[in-house]
Amino acid sequence: MTFDYMAIWDNRDILIDGVLTTLLVSTIAIPIGIIIGTVICMMRISENRMLRWSSIVYIEFLRNIPFLILIFLVFYALPFYGLRLSGLTTGFICLSIYGGAYFAEIFRGGIQSVSKGQFDASKALGLKYGFYMRRVIFPQLYKYIIPPGTNIALTMIKESSLLSMITVAELTYAAHDVNGRTFTPVETFATIALLYWLISTLFLKLTHLLQVKFDAEDTQDGLTVR
Amino acid sequence: MDLQFLEIIPQTGPMLWGALNTIYVGLLACGVGLVIGTGLLFLRNSRFRLLRILVGIYGSFIRGTPALVQILVLYYALAPLIGLNIGPFTAGILAIGFNSGAYVAEILRGGLSRIPPGQWEAAKALGLPNHKIWFKVILPQVFYSVIPLLVGEFTMVIKLTPLLSTITLVELTRSSQMLYNETFRPVEVLIIAAIIYFIICFSISQYGERLQRRSLKYRL
Repeated sequence: MTFDYMAIWDNRDILIDGVLTTLLVSTIAIPIGIIIGTVICMMRISENRMLRWSSIVYIEFLRNIPFLILIFLVFYALPFYGLRLSGLTTGFICLSIYGGAYFAEIFRGGIQSVSKGQFDASKALGLKYGFYMRRVIFPQLYKYIIPPGTNIALTMIKESSLLSMITVAELTYAAHDVNGRTFTPVETFATIALLYWLISTLFLKLTHLLQVKFDAEDTQDGLTVR
Repeated sequence: MDLQFLEIIPQTGPMLWGALNTIYVGLLACGVGLVIGTGLLFLRNSRFRLLRILVGIYGSFIRGTPALVQILVLYYALAPLIGLNIGPFTAGILAIGFNSGAYVAEILRGGLSRIPPGQWEAAKALGLPNHKIWFKVILPQVFYSVIPLLVGEFTMVIKLTPLLSTITLVELTRSSQMLYNETFRPVEVLIIAAIIYFIICFSISQYGERLQRRSLKYRL
C-alpha cells in the first residue's frame, strides 16, 4: 500500500481551516473556562452553604459525565427551549463550562496548598477578604496551579475534537471531510494525528516557558512559601 | 417544552444493556491498559536507550492527541494498513487500552519512585535474581500503593467509552442515540444517559477517594 500524499496536499485548505477552528475554539474556551473555574472555586470555598453546595453539584456533575453526553445534551436541548445556537457557539459554551469544573478543583487544590498561616496573617492584619485573596493568596498560587492547569487546558484542546460530532468544522471534522472526498483514511487520519501532536507539543513548550518565568520571579522575590 | 420522562422510562431497556456494555468494555480496556502500562514501565527502565526514547515518544503521542483521533487512526488507518481485520469491539478496546496504558505507566512510575532504595538493596543482598526482585518485591508494593489512582484511571476509561459510539460500538451513548432517533425525545433520553454515566463514574471515583484516604491514614 502506498501513501497518497497528494490527497492531503490537494485538500490542505480544509485541513488548515480545521486547525484554525480548533485553535480558535481552544483560545476562546480556555480563558472563559479559567474565569468560570475561578468563580466556582470561590463559591466552593465560601462560608455560604447555598453557594458551596451548588458549586459542589456543578463540579461533581460535570466531572463525572463524558464530554460527548454534555455536548449532545446542550446541542439537542437548547433548541427545544427556543434557543437555536450554532454548533460553534454550543461548542464554546460546553467546552468552557466543562473546563471550568476541572479548573475549579485545581484552583481549590492550589488554595489548600498555600500555608494556613498566610490566611491567618492576612486576617490578623485586618485585610479585607477580596484584598488578601487578590494580593496575598493568588500570587502564591501560580506554582501550584500551572502544571495541573496546563494539563486541563491541553485536555480541553483535545476534547475540542468531539465538537466534530455537532458539525463544528474543526480538525477532526475536516479529516472526515477530506476522507469523504478522497477516500484515503490512512493518510488523513495520520495527518491530523500529527497535527494535533504538533499543536499540543507547541502548547506544552509555551506553558513550560511560562512556568520557568514564574519560577524565576518566585526566587527573585524570595517568595518560596512552603 | 415539557419533559416527559414517564413516556421514555419504560423504553430504556436497551440503554441499561448499553450501560452494562459500557462497564464491560471499560473493564476490558482497563485490563489492556494495565498490561500495556506495566510493559511500558519495564521498557522505560530497560538498559537500552532506544527503547526508553520510544516509550517517551509513545507517551507524548498518546497525551498529545485526542482519544477520538486515536480511535479513528486505529480503526480506519492502522488496522487496514497492517492487514488486520478487526471489528469495532476489538478496535475500541485496543484503542482505549493503548490510550489508558500511557497514563497507567505514568501512575506506576510515580509509585515506583516512592519505593525506598532499601527495598532494592535488601532484595539484592538476599541474592534474588532480577526477575524475582521485580515481580516478588517491587511490583506488588508499587501496585498496592497506586490502587486509588488506578481506580481513578478507570473512571477516565469509562468517560472515554462514549467515543466508541463513533465506530458503531453499541454502548450506552450509541443505544441512547438509537432510542432518541426512534422516539424523537433526545433531551429526556440524554438526561437519563447522563444520570447513568454519573452514577457509574461518581460511585467509582468516591470509592477511589475512600481508598486514597485510607491509604494516607495507614502510611507511616
